[in-house]
Amino acid sequence: MPKSRTRSTATAAPAGTRSTTVGFGRLLLRNKLGMVGLGVIAFWTLGSIFIGVLSPYGASETAAGALLAPPSLDHLFGTDNFGRDLLTRVFAGGQLSLWTGLIAVGISMAIGVPLGGIAGYAGGALGSVIMRVMDVLLAFPSLVLAMAVAAALGPGTSSAMIAVGIVGIPEFARITYGQTISLKQREFVEAGRALGLSSATILTRHIVPNALAPIVVRATLGMGYAILTAAALSFIGLGAQPPTAEWGVMISDGRGYIISGEWWLTFFPGLAIATSILGFNLLGDALRDVLDPRLRTTA
Amino acid sequence: MRVTAKAVAIAASVLLVTGCSANANTNANSTESTGATTITAAYSEGGTTLNPTEANDVTSDTFVLAAYDQLVTYATEEVDGKQVANTAEIVPMIASSWEVSDDDTAYTFTLRDDIAFQSGNPLTSADVVGSFQLIADSSSASFLYGMAGISTVTAVDDSTVTITLTAPNHLFLQILPMYSFSIMDTKLIEENGGAEWLATNTAGSGPFVVDSWDPSTEAVLSRNDDYWGDAPALETVNIKFITEASNRVQLLSKGEVQLALEIPAKDVAALEDTDGVVIDSRPSNKILYFAMNNNIAPFDNELVRQAITYAIPYDKLLTDVMQGQASPMTSSVASSTPGFTADGNNAEYDLDKAKDLLTQAGYPDGFTFDFTLGSGFQDWNDDAVLIQAELAKVGVTMNITNMARAQFLEAIATNQVQSYISRWTSFVNDPGYHLGLLLTSTGTSNYANYNNADVDSLWTEASTEPDQEKRNELYGEAQEIINEESPWAYLYEYNIVVGLQEGTEGYTSYPDGIVRYAQLSVN
Repeated sequence: MPKSRTRSTATAAPAGTRSTTVGFGRLLLRNKLGMVGLGVIAFWTLGSIFIGVLSPYGASETAAGALLAPPSLDHLFGTDNFGRDLLTRVFAGGQLSLWTGLIAVGISMAIGVPLGGIAGYAGGALGSVIMRVMDVLLAFPSLVLAMAVAAALGPGTSSAMIAVGIVGIPEFARITYGQTISLKQREFVEAGRALGLSSATILTRHIVPNALAPIVVRATLGMGYAILTAAALSFIGLGAQPPTAEWGVMISDGRGYIISGEWWLTFFPGLAIATSILGFNLLGDALRDVLDPRLRTTA
Repeated sequence: MRVTAKAVAIAASVLLVTGCSANANTNANSTESTGATTITAAYSEGGTTLNPTEANDVTSDTFVLAAYDQLVTYATEEVDGKQVANTAEIVPMIASSWEVSDDDTAYTFTLRDDIAFQSGNPLTSADVVGSFQLIADSSSASFLYGMAGISTVTAVDDSTVTITLTAPNHLFLQILPMYSFSIMDTKLIEENGGAEWLATNTAGSGPFVVDSWDPSTEAVLSRNDDYWGDAPALETVNIKFITEASNRVQLLSKGEVQLALEIPAKDVAALEDTDGVVIDSRPSNKILYFAMNNNIAPFDNELVRQAITYAIPYDKLLTDVMQGQASPMTSSVASSTPGFTADGNNAEYDLDKAKDLLTQAGYPDGFTFDFTLGSGFQDWNDDAVLIQAELAKVGVTMNITNMARAQFLEAIATNQVQSYISRWTSFVNDPGYHLGLLLTSTGTSNYANYNNADVDSLWTEASTEPDQEKRNELYGEAQEIINEESPWAYLYEYNIVVGLQEGTEGYTSYPDGIVRYAQLSVN
């Protein structure tokens, strides 16, 4: 009984105190699946950062080896139809995919969180208008919306990032909205209001920091989703342009070779997409377990 | 019984005229034999219209040639054991004979009197006059109408039509066999409210009836049992529309389709080894070129364009991308086109030379340009990547932008695209037709804005020159100028690759790449 009291106080108090940070880290480390996810993400992140130094080949270097050579010691992932080293390309593609995920999620958060916060705190007509617009965005199948945005902006990696970012806005807005609605009834918010703090200060200093936990979870899960959507956009030609190494493009280019038996052209980029998304999902789930006390099993 | 006797008589007369006995025999055999008279074909696109005067893609053209007849048609001949069209020789179809006036400007056609449209209406000279009017009024075929130099079309009597030309025009008879010049049932069109009705309906006298057509899935053609000519051996033709090339390949190798178009070069070798599959691959006049917009710097500089032509890895494109299913292209017209000459074209893969030319042109450190890549053809994509990699070696940055095919075609037609690659097939295998459309200053497909007064005047002079040798000399001179000024880099000439199931007989290759199903049979 006293234990659960402590916990609920910890989440209700303004976030960022030393004790909660330590507890959070310890709980996360104890989550095995979460650590697997983190490991996978670290693998792709470090691999893509250092591929330029580690690989003897350039990502766009044609005829680095024989054309369509199967995996071997010289080319661990084989080569593509231009003789480019696939291992180098898969990791170089990882760089782009991770950046795309970060920037897209960044855009979604930067726009979605303030919108949701304002809608939740202000309520009334303004809140309704904002949230109905978000509902409209949510009503579109996300890939179709991303395609429309990317097509309007013109194909390219930056427009793919923006497109995926825009598609993610409503999710963040909704989460922040829900959090804000419940938080604004709480004592510490009322106390702030009684002290005469402005709405902006209450929102940015007191409400948003306390709503961060589900937002962080959503952002982590959203990374995987953003990578997948960006790869899908590239697959259909709206994302990265040749010769940029990108997972979706590599699968698109390699898919004609599946029947003729050159499976490695699609297998390795596919594996990269699958594992990186799995990594973010595992980590996201772990973060939710740790950050959301209601779902926490035994401590 | 009466019909059969008549059909035999017609078949015999057609035999005498065209001399294509091989086809007629297979037809006769298979009609007698078992009931395997249905074939299924896999196409990449679903077509856009059934209107002969607006059709402009392989699928739509296929429907038109199945459902309609033309005044005259191309002869066929056997070359190395394969049936092939001889577009230089024009043979009768609806017109049983024709006479040319002494000054080569008036053609009088005598029509067969035994032809009825699929609707049952008889085909008369009024239909020919009406059809030519529809062609002249159309948005697409009207261009060909102008190129043929047609001035007036008049009905002399029910079975005689006289067509006068503005000047002697050697292209006239060459253009008439095209699908655009189909003879339509004008009475039926009038009853249905005009040319718009033709987009989704047919009004022809051809060997097949278009039973159903759904551009997203499939079309079904069935035999016109009252056809006036040689009865088709096939009763039903199902044409399935399958965008993904690998799916078409798979359907063919599993025997689910008897014919597949647009086989990717990389799958040819594997299919040749597949039991029961026959690959028909032949050189064609279908070219692929890298166009540089002559109005947009730095491609307004001849030296820069020449430099690019030295930085293209021609052999790699042929071997790595096309896997031998293409041959070198060495002039603006295909090597199989009459009057072709490679004079003036020195392009080869030589990066030092490219670098020299760039330095001379004032770009010693290279430059950056935009390249628009139309989607839909894997070889284009692969070519672009290879060219990009070579250009990078001489300091030239090529920024590739992907575009869906429809948008791509729209974009290049604005004449504002800096560079692109595109393919072209001249259905009339003549340098006048080819250069006129692509490389004269008024050419409707001159999207690279090539403009040379000498080429224009040579072309104009040649188009009214009746002597073929002199004409080809003029076209040769024009090609030489174009080769030197290099508005395009020449990539390759495609093979037309068709995949067939063993036992599918009678396939004849035409420059337009369109399968005439009336010629096919199944054993």
